[in-house]
Amino acid sequence: MKKVIKFSKAFLPCVILSTVLIAFGLVGLLTQGINLGIDFQAGFIEKIRIAPTALTLSYEGSQSVAVSQSSSGISFIVTGVGSDNQTISFLYATYPTVGEFAAAVVEVPGVSIQVNAPESVFLKSLFPDSEALARLSATPYRFHYVPESVSLITPDALRTALVDFPNAAVQVIGLPADQMFQVRLSDDGSDPEASVNLRAGLNRAFVAAYGEENIAVISTDFVGSRFSQSLATQAVWLVLATLVLIWLYATLRFRWDFAMGAVLAIAHDALIMICFVVWTRMQFNSTTIAAILTIIGYSINDTVVVFDRIRENMKFHPDKNITEILDLSQTEILGRTIITSFSTMLAVSSLFIFTTGDMKDFALALLIGMTSGTYSTIYIASAFISFVGKFRKDAGMIKEKAKVAVITSGEVI
Amino acid sequence: MSKRSRLVLILVVLAVCFAFLWPSIKWYYVTPKEQQALALGSREKIKDYSRNMAVADLKQLMADAREDKTVAVEDKYASVITEARKNFKAMKNAQPTVWTARTLLSAFPSESDVLSIIENGYRERILAVKKTQSRAVKLGLDLSGGMSIIIKADLDAAAKTQKGSITDLSQFKAEAMAQAMSTLNSRIDKFGLSEPVIRQQGEDRIYIEIPGAADSERINSIIMGKGMLAFHMVDSEATSAFQQYYELHPTETFDAEYNLLDASIIPADTQVLGLYTKDTYGLDERTGFLVIKKEVGLEGKHIQSAETSRDNVSGQPRVNFVLDSEGTRIFADLTANNIKKSLAIVSDGKIKSHAVINESIPTGSVQLSGFSAEEAENIKAVLRTAWLNIPLQLENQQVIGASMGEEAIRQGVWALTFGLAAVLVFMLLYYRGAGLNACVAQILNLFIMFSVLSALNLTLSLPSIAGMILTIGMAVDANVVIFERIKDELRLKKERAASISAGFDRAFWAIMDSNITTFIAAAFLSQLGTGPIRGFAYSLAIGVLSSVFTALFVSKLMFDFDTDVCKKKTISISWRIK
Repeated sequence: MKKVIKFSKAFLPCVILSTVLIAFGLVGLLTQGINLGIDFQAGFIEKIRIAPTALTLSYEGSQSVAVSQSSSGISFIVTGVGSDNQTISFLYATYPTVGEFAAAVVEVPGVSIQVNAPESVFLKSLFPDSEALARLSATPYRFHYVPESVSLITPDALRTALVDFPNAAVQVIGLPADQMFQVRLSDDGSDPEASVNLRAGLNRAFVAAYGEENIAVISTDFVGSRFSQSLATQAVWLVLATLVLIWLYATLRFRWDFAMGAVLAIAHDALIMICFVVWTRMQFNSTTIAAILTIIGYSINDTVVVFDRIRENMKFHPDKNITEILDLSQTEILGRTIITSFSTMLAVSSLFIFTTGDMKDFALALLIGMTSGTYSTIYIASAFISFVGKFRKDAGMIKEKAKVAVITSGEVI
Repeated sequence: MSKRSRLVLILVVLAVCFAFLWPSIKWYYVTPKEQQALALGSREKIKDYSRNMAVADLKQLMADAREDKTVAVEDKYASVITEARKNFKAMKNAQPTVWTARTLLSAFPSESDVLSIIENGYRERILAVKKTQSRAVKLGLDLSGGMSIIIKADLDAAAKTQKGSITDLSQFKAEAMAQAMSTLNSRIDKFGLSEPVIRQQGEDRIYIEIPGAADSERINSIIMGKGMLAFHMVDSEATSAFQQYYELHPTETFDAEYNLLDASIIPADTQVLGLYTKDTYGLDERTGFLVIKKEVGLEGKHIQSAETSRDNVSGQPRVNFVLDSEGTRIFADLTANNIKKSLAIVSDGKIKSHAVINESIPTGSVQLSGFSAEEAENIKAVLRTAWLNIPLQLENQQVIGASMGEEAIRQGVWALTFGLAAVLVFMLLYYRGAGLNACVAQILNLFIMFSVLSALNLTLSLPSIAGMILTIGMAVDANVVIFERIKDELRLKKERAASISAGFDRAFWAIMDSNITTFIAAAFLSQLGTGPIRGFAYSLAIGVLSSVFTALFVSKLMFDFDTDVCKKKTISISWRIK
């Protein structure tokens, strides 16, 4: 038999540590607030790149020509009546520069191209305006590029351009050479036409400062004030209701104090994650909610496996008190706890390494949550059961119930 | 359950899963992009396309027949040849060895028969691709790029404008909502872009999703704009001239958005619009084109009410509508000047109906007749939009560039692949031989998850990929719990078969309990959550079920196979225990 590790000795210090951590987070929440993302704070966010037009494409004819750019090349998808349906691809490998692309495009019937950039610009470095219709028409469809020798626009210069929006938050995304900016405007709910006015006003300001042909919108996001409130309330209720349901099931399958321990452990993990978000000033948005829900799912799984072992050991060792049982069970199952956490973290680390932006934050929050989930299974849930066990007259025995459970399990298999 | 029946069960599950997954594979990896673009077009576009292609093909055939070419016709006429064979057989003619254009046409009594066969062929091919698409996993906007909009219809404000005329408020709201939905449907329909999604959310919200790139300002102005109902005079001479031209030049009349390529074919003060009726599914179906005057005869805002009734004598259904005083004056002049001419009801760029003016109408109370009861109801609904204005408020709008979506897919795939690979390698290193069972279980797990997503027509988004990655972790857990139990048994010096059997038995309830609690949480979230939460919850719920299945069935069967068939006496499950 392996040597039993006395996890129970660390119960009190761990509970104190967690309480302090959470209290610290709550203080942060009260003093500096949470960095609410667009989902929870009404407003308008626009990601934009300020870059001149490299080339424009237009089309005249009876067919429909859609342009799509992928990581391997630019393709024209030609459909409709008049001639054959086909996809014409211009791979970066075959047409590395704008010049070669332009020479090839003129061969496509109906399509005309006008090149503004030097011919040596790499085709791969072009990007379109995502608000433009990808179907070519008489209106020119623009591809943009960032010229090498150009004085870069600073966020301060951008702020000056947006002088009409004193509360606009401007942020650089990626490298300064990408010339990508994020502008965020808030919506206080006083203007019922905010969705239209914010967007149009911002675009007017950009056009006035830099000219229409030098702006490529990457993405926009508008959330009205009523919508953001309903999402926040719904999220809170969902989490609470989920906790109640889990508590009910665990009470049925185990005992009320086990269930309470599990729910406490989950709530602990969710709070730790919120504290992490508060102190790192990470944006709190619907992805963060998804991360918290993920951890609820993960942590409950982790905790119940341990409970199962505790229940079994209570049956095998009726002479032991609850704290000894807890130590024994945790020791027996420690290998599984470590291996499962480690392998899940491998998967999540991969998410963290390969993604950017929101998803990277999501993965980071998950990693924190998983660490907390493993820790809370060992210390928080057990500490609560041990604490309640001290006041129970039956010293934590659930002999009858345990026997019933074992018999049913025998039948099912 | 015996081992054989377990094996059969697993094979059946895998086969069913593959059948579910097949449309997705076919759509994303086999179907060329131009086919996708065609299939994603509106039904109207598909119909026009098949018709026009068929007309062009038929022309070619007839030209070849006139020249009396002796070569066989192209492969694309295979379906026509099949029909021709049947006809030849019925007419007891000898089957020709070479199907030339002339022999082919001679098999049919009229050209229109050939036309409809070719047209059907085109349409069915596109609809088959469309069907594949509808069964494939959809990509969420965060992966495909595009626009999503949530609109709130202010039904209370709409009710206020109607003052005392409402008897049943909840019924009024339901009707007003239906009107708002149908107006939005028909406006968005005009874009003819890839499959737009329009759904009612709750009592008064409408969710719209437009995949692919979209011009948000234009879409906003069209969606949020006020309804535009108006009466225009039909130019019947120009209409017949246009129809002649269109018959002669079916492929060169319009561009992809139904703008005329050659504007000079109709008088400068007129425009061509489609005439629409509702088909059996309640969708707009174009039945033809009319040339109407650009000048508005009467604006819809003058309409005060519209009702349907039946003619007292003949029982014919009719639509009555009443105009305000200014409208009465305008309409009296209009009708007096245009007796025996046709008047069109135009709503949002579609002609909904047209009728001949028999006499001048000076009273402002107008009666339309000469259609079925159903059509009468449709016209009433169209006229209603003129005075029942439902304020729409944009609550949420998101535009994601297609390139961002592509980047997100690439990242998601890399993360999933490397995450899975890292877990598999770790399992093999730590559990050695038994690790292989865990690996197979993991891979099947992902396979089952994707196919169930595909079968339930769910959307694949970044949160659902996150759900899958979490499931990888939990599926590993089920295997780890079992393996650790088996190791416990081995430490007690039990035999291979006994250890495995006891390990699975003793792990059973730990796995069930932990997964049932997770499933409860996931199922609950999937019912109540919004977009991203829902996507995550679905994939978690599916993942929980499939990971229990793979851990308890697949992994167990692999152990039993080694015991019974390979006659193994030991287990390779750890570096320490032999």
